[in-house]
Amino acid sequence: MSIATGRAAGPSTSQAASRASGILGRVIAHRTDYLYVLPALIVMLVVIAFPIYYTIELSFFRTPPNLQMRDKIWTGLDNYVTVLRSPVFHEVTINTIIWTVASTLVAFLLGLGAALSLHREFVGRGVMRALLLIPYVVSAVAASYVWKWLYHSDFGVIGAIAVQLGLTSEPINFLDNRQTVLASLIVVNIWKEFSFAMVMLMAGLQTVPEQLLRAAQVDGASAWNRFWHVTFPHLRGVSMVTVLLLMVANFNSFIIPFVMTGGGPADASHIWITHIYQLAFGRQQWGVASAYAVILFIVMMTLGYFYVKALTRGDENRAGG
Amino acid sequence: MATISETAIRPVVRKPIDWWRWAGRFFLTFLLLFTVLPMAWMVLTSVKSQFAAMQYPPQWWPTEPTLNNYFKLLDPRNRIGQEFLRYFWNSFYVSLLTTILGVVVAVPAAYAFSRFRFPGRNFLFFAVLVRNMFPAVVFLMPLFLLMRWMGLVNTHGSLILTYLTFGLPLSIWLLKGFYDNIPIQLEQAARIDGATRFQAFLFIVMPLSTPGIIATSIFSFIGAWNEYVYAYTFLSRDHQMTLPVGIQRFFTEFATDWPGLMAATFMMSVPVVVLFLVLQKYFVRALTEGAVKH
Amino acid sequence: MTNSQGRAPRPARSTRRQAAGRAVAALVIASLLSSTAYAQSVDLSQWSPEYIRSIAGTEEFDTAGHCASVVPLDYEGRLTYWWTGPTEASPQIEHQINEEFWAAWAETYPNIETDAQNIDYNQLLDRLRTTLLGNAGPMVVRLQILGGVEFASKGYFQELAPEDIGYPTADFWPGAMKSVTWQGTTYGVPTNNETMALIWNADIFERAGLDPESPPATWDDLVAYSKQIHDELGISGYGLVARQNAGNTPFRFMPQLWAYGGGALDEAEENPTYETVQLNSEGAVAALQAAYDMYVRDKSVPTSALTNTQNENQAPFIAGQLAMMIAHPSEYAKMVDLAGLATGADKEIADTVVENMRYGLIPEGPERRAVVFGGSNMHFVQPDYVEGGFDEQAAKAFACFWNSPEWSTKLAWTGSNPGNLAGFKTQWMKERLDTIKFLDVTTSMLPSGIPFPVIPEATEIMNIIVPDMLQNALTERMSVEEAAADAAAKVESLLGGGL
Repeated sequence: MSIATGRAAGPSTSQAASRASGILGRVIAHRTDYLYVLPALIVMLVVIAFPIYYTIELSFFRTPPNLQMRDKIWTGLDNYVTVLRSPVFHEVTINTIIWTVASTLVAFLLGLGAALSLHREFVGRGVMRALLLIPYVVSAVAASYVWKWLYHSDFGVIGAIAVQLGLTSEPINFLDNRQTVLASLIVVNIWKEFSFAMVMLMAGLQTVPEQLLRAAQVDGASAWNRFWHVTFPHLRGVSMVTVLLLMVANFNSFIIPFVMTGGGPADASHIWITHIYQLAFGRQQWGVASAYAVILFIVMMTLGYFYVKALTRGDENRAGG
Repeated sequence: MATISETAIRPVVRKPIDWWRWAGRFFLTFLLLFTVLPMAWMVLTSVKSQFAAMQYPPQWWPTEPTLNNYFKLLDPRNRIGQEFLRYFWNSFYVSLLTTILGVVVAVPAAYAFSRFRFPGRNFLFFAVLVRNMFPAVVFLMPLFLLMRWMGLVNTHGSLILTYLTFGLPLSIWLLKGFYDNIPIQLEQAARIDGATRFQAFLFIVMPLSTPGIIATSIFSFIGAWNEYVYAYTFLSRDHQMTLPVGIQRFFTEFATDWPGLMAATFMMSVPVVVLFLVLQKYFVRALTEGAVKH
Repeated sequence: MTNSQGRAPRPARSTRRQAAGRAVAALVIASLLSSTAYAQSVDLSQWSPEYIRSIAGTEEFDTAGHCASVVPLDYEGRLTYWWTGPTEASPQIEHQINEEFWAAWAETYPNIETDAQNIDYNQLLDRLRTTLLGNAGPMVVRLQILGGVEFASKGYFQELAPEDIGYPTADFWPGAMKSVTWQGTTYGVPTNNETMALIWNADIFERAGLDPESPPATWDDLVAYSKQIHDELGISGYGLVARQNAGNTPFRFMPQLWAYGGGALDEAEENPTYETVQLNSEGAVAALQAAYDMYVRDKSVPTSALTNTQNENQAPFIAGQLAMMIAHPSEYAKMVDLAGLATGADKEIADTVVENMRYGLIPEGPERRAVVFGGSNMHFVQPDYVEGGFDEQAAKAFACFWNSPEWSTKLAWTGSNPGNLAGFKTQWMKERLDTIKFLDVTTSMLPSGIPFPVIPEATEIMNIIVPDMLQNALTERMSVEEAAADAAAKVESLLGGGL
């Protein structure tokens, strides 16, 4: 039962109104409710609606280098064809998938491990948790510079340590190498966000009933079985949310590849976002970049459907009060 | 897993070595090194001279540590210091305003989504959440045109308005979780005592949700403090720059001063890290109560 | 107003005959002169370090007096200006001159309210593009030479010739004027002409068993030197760069490409038409092969070349970890600054490097000796695109002041040469020649300067396609030939209006 029923109008009037003129009546009856959400909606509308409209519109036009945006030429679906046919699209898409899935998966697993290890009380637990959380709050720009310096192919400390330990004879080439660059960037991304998964899951662990674990213990279940049959099912909801939030964030992350490699060397670390940026700002191909962005929207909306479903899950049963 | 076995095992058996626990310790040590070492190297580099940084193999420990890079950044008498402090202030100002506005906008919205049953509620909630699905970069151009149209180009207003929308979805979602957990009876009691709906919200619900508000504020503040792409595009006046864009001045046409850059990076991270460490219990609590509890 | 005093035509014909012997220089000069063969205050056909020394300090200029004839000094107005000025990495003296300039400007035109934005080199183009799309541009902008034509072709810039601000076109390098001309219309004034040269560390050369005082004469030698240095000392020989950015990569790679006889288009030819793509020509492939040899085969250049731009080469050079790079003479001033700041053991390293820093001509190739004819130009933005409207008088006053022989010289103090050639006759040029080391070298590189193609697509070709070609070859994603062919195909389709 919502508090709305206790409003000045009274439950019976409001229900009567809604019966009388359907949706419109209900809207009118609830008109003051909208005042609460109005500021948020206006802000969101302004900052989303126009850009989406504009991006979609531009995706059907072409703007060659010597043309201004206002002289754009209608080309129908040409830009979409160009994107899908472009020789690097394939590679960039694979990069995007690897980037998103690997970052999400590893960050989640590290976060899970950390959450489980930190769940138990021990001396210094708070300090530990705080330290692990620092990368999450450090800006991506800062993280990119720091890691660029760590990885530096000539003066980088990681390469030097590897040589000192006798692991390699020459400093490892992390970023200037098509084979390793993407993995190297994924490590940075994981460094930055695994602790988000950690806090989410630590929060989730508090919902696991202690008695259930004890009962399983008494029944002689092994540690793994207790985790798998008791703890994990309770974490399922929060895991879903965490994975989706991470996935969305990773899919949209731009700064790490942009600052560290600019998509290079030879496109090996381009993901969709950096590629779109390069098409739009580097090469002035607003039309193609917009078509690319629209394709990305479509993928994101599909992902978003699940995202919102996960976020609003249990909302309905909870909503009853 | 260490958790489970530990809490459970203690009363029953003690003899076998607890592998899970050792694995947990080992794992935590690894994670700790993974987290801390890069930051340690950042700090170590920042106290080296440019010459010392350009050595291979590197000086593991600076032979002649110097705080010059920090003095340079923080000394308001020289040009670099003035600029850096100016960027610092800009970042602070933009982030603070974003945070305050974010709270003002998110709190009533979250409350309404939690308590009221108006038509279109689900759709609107969806619409708000979906903002985070769109990558910032894609909207750069159209938003720039929009800001121009609203006369906000080259003002901090353009950034604040944009940053507001980054933070809102998560804020609203977290706060909604909070309100869902506040018993409705409290408000009903207040209403019976003659409070209006808005008064009940203001005097009963708001105070109870303070931890959630603090947590979402941290989120907004950190988000705004660290944002790079829009700040890079929307502002062209030097004295308006925020830190993430401003520190790029160390990466210029002809030279990169790694130690200076590391020092700037460090200084840039300090405020958010300190803020976060001080307020982290709210942050964790907000996630627990707002996002996880059902 | 004394500025026009020195404009008496020199006996160009006889000097040209004299110059006929100076093979390379004269050839290029002739091509540069081909369109504008009329009188000049500085005789380009005699161009040599000695000639420059001989004219320096021969005339006096009154900047304020001259500009007063263009725009009255009490003019009240408003000015917005964007340029890339001194940064944290610039030598101290550049900052000092910059401050002096703004003080002098404020004093000369006290009633022009000025908003000048010093924008980072790598950000200026992106930012200008965005703001122009949003009609929020500045009135006046100074862009690197590669940037202007793209904006001019889109109609963002106003027509603007040196005459509009009281200077004869003949006082500017013909090559520089070409870079501000699009479809026969002039839309800018060259503020400075720069040519880089090869900087090397004589101490490293000596330790590697090379002649410390002579730079590699040819690009093939450079490849061999680089290898020898790396083999002997384990440090990087040549500072190769190959990342996409706002221009550093083409400024370093194109000279090599041209030297081997290649080109992006036919820009290295005498009368370029910019119609034939030459990135897959034999010369281009040879240059790319040389880069490949250094990076992949010999590993004698910084491994970080693919993620780094030129800005990451200075530090290793100062630290004695890099032997050669293509750079500005301003590096010298910067290194002296740095050495002054260093303490203890660093001081020793820095002093050694400064002492051993040498500056010489960029190597020759089988075809020619070449360098990018670089620099910057000043442009006026079309009123429609200017935030708050365009103030013509203020813009003119400013352009006159900035491009005066005095400030054109001073603002190019350590890094390049004055765009206004009359600057070469000023006492400031004399002072500069006396205090800045190595200036001779860059001035004598000027005649070997080849401008980037003056077409709107030039930025994309130079800043994206050329670095991509390098990356494709150096990462072995493609063979050298494939990478060249791929780049040529991209240019071809770009010029064809495609994508």
